[in-house]
Amino acid sequence: MSKDGLIKTGITGLDDILLGGIPRTNVVLLQGVTGSGKTLMGLEVIYHGIVQYNEPGIIVVFETNPNKLVRDAAAFGWNLEELQEQKKLQIVFTTPQVFRHELRSTDSLLLETANEIGAQRIFVDGIGLLNRDLGGNAPERAGFREMLQQLFESLDRENLTAIMSLEVGSAPNSMATVEMTDFLADTVIQLGRNRKGRRIQRSLEVLKSRGQDYETGEHTMHITEGQGVQIFRRVQAPSRAGSKQPTSSTMRSVIGVDAVDTLIGGGIFDGSTTMVVGISGVGKTVLGTQILREGVLKQKTKGLLVSLDEHPAQIIRNAQTLGLNLEEQVADGTIQILFESPQELDVDAHYARIIKLIEEHDIKRMVIDGMTSYSTAIGELAVYRDFVHAIVAYSKQRLMTSFFNYENPEFLGVSSYMPDFPLSSIVDNLILMSLVEINNSLHRCISVVKSRGSKHSFDTREFVIGQGGISLVPLERNLLPPVPLQAYSSLLSRAPTRFSGSKRINGAAAVQDKE
Amino acid sequence: MGRGKPLESTVQSCLDGMGISLLSEWDVLAFVYRHGASLASSDQIAHLIGYESTVVKAALDRLESEKLIERSRPSEEVRFYRIFASSDAGRQRRLQQIVSLAETRVGRLLLAKRLKPDGSNRDEKNNRIS
Repeated sequence: MSKDGLIKTGITGLDDILLGGIPRTNVVLLQGVTGSGKTLMGLEVIYHGIVQYNEPGIIVVFETNPNKLVRDAAAFGWNLEELQEQKKLQIVFTTPQVFRHELRSTDSLLLETANEIGAQRIFVDGIGLLNRDLGGNAPERAGFREMLQQLFESLDRENLTAIMSLEVGSAPNSMATVEMTDFLADTVIQLGRNRKGRRIQRSLEVLKSRGQDYETGEHTMHITEGQGVQIFRRVQAPSRAGSKQPTSSTMRSVIGVDAVDTLIGGGIFDGSTTMVVGISGVGKTVLGTQILREGVLKQKTKGLLVSLDEHPAQIIRNAQTLGLNLEEQVADGTIQILFESPQELDVDAHYARIIKLIEEHDIKRMVIDGMTSYSTAIGELAVYRDFVHAIVAYSKQRLMTSFFNYENPEFLGVSSYMPDFPLSSIVDNLILMSLVEINNSLHRCISVVKSRGSKHSFDTREFVIGQGGISLVPLERNLLPPVPLQAYSSLLSRAPTRFSGSKRINGAAAVQDKE
Repeated sequence: MGRGKPLESTVQSCLDGMGISLLSEWDVLAFVYRHGASLASSDQIAHLIGYESTVVKAALDRLESEKLIERSRPSEEVRFYRIFASSDAGRQRRLQQIVSLAETRVGRLLLAKRLKPDGSNRDEKNNRIS
């Protein structure tokens, strides 16, 4: 269908789900339980129709006070009174009986009004009420069906695109009403209001839409104060980019330290994805900060840091203590920081915000600091996996260079890269940052255990964190001085080994020999 | 209450200025005002606000003759009812004023006191208006 044949709802995210909009003159059914946002969504389609697309509209309400509709709309900044004065909108209060009569009438006042203001959209709030006093037995249900057909026919005759709300689950014979209405309507949108733990999660699913393709599945819906309804495409939905995945042979430095680049085989390919695995405190965030600064300062690429753990002010402060001035890049927009609390994280909305930032700022390097936080915040393993797959796929499609920090819970030694959910196979590079106990001291070490398409080193190198961030300890200085906890090594690995005199015990003896 | 007298005189002058003398007329006017454009028959309005149809019909006639409401041509028994968009600023101001007053309990009681009850409404008037 051509884009001209579609009307845009104007609701953030919904037109993308509908691949452009709703076919003109379709009858759209918004169905859902009480409080799922049906009235607001219908109202918003009419409002945006008038304000954004110059398509006047009519709102029909049954036995509810239109003033409350006007008041509720005002809370979102929509001035319905003004639109009524401009004769672009007409809110009509009526009863189900009158409405039924009007649809059959050849001189319908409602349709006359629609014609007068040039209405192209109509929203009927609470279509289930039309069935209320018809009764529930078979002949009466047939009467309701006939009445709906008349309604849809007359709206189609007037070239009106109709949006109807239908409350599910409250009236008697609700299921029969829903089935019948679903069958007759051209587009059926199911709005959900589901309890997830102790919170409420809203959702939207297009059940059918005649004359068009659309994004299937359950998407996330938000109602935002001052803004209205927002729909976030589910992260699992496959990309519709269509084109082949691009690839690049350009290699770039990771942090501007030759030794690190050598470890990883000369640098990182553009468009590659890297997992940085290590225990808390080993230096993953510092490495991430350096990666972004390297991109901005030396490669002139914009960066994005996504964190569920640390607030931007704290990230900037911590970087500052190491002489890494992030504030400047954040201020000039070359580095973006997105922080969201893991508390009640809505993964579809979060993903959409990441994508929006990337596209708005043409981000080329991204660091996601804290995959473990996602794992705990999202809760469901399948959704977590889908999120990671989606972000990796998106990153590769845009030829972005992305780094994912993963906090490994194992303090000493690593028996599994990512014990809660193995992701190592979907990334191109795997960097392991470890704490190593030598005598009675912990040392930081870095190893590259995987780097697709590169001839990387398998050496483990010691590094230190100081002014300027991470730097490798030169090989010749990798020797350790005698330690104060004199005679023991491997204390924290629960296998203490006593060192005595000139006897060779583990690495410590070798050190003493050299000295 | 100190404000009692001025409020009473305000209510009375508004009612006089608008030509409303019956409680049923006020109730019908308030219904039309609150519902913007009402597409209904007089019987249905009567049903919704709890008056006899004859009373509502009479009130609608009166309100129309006083240019407080306007109604469309009939489609069988159904008409559009709207508040008359008067160019008389004083009249509009009085209407706004009395609608605001009626949003408070004190205002509603004053209206009930000032307006003549109509014998044919089904409910006890003082209960209904409060």
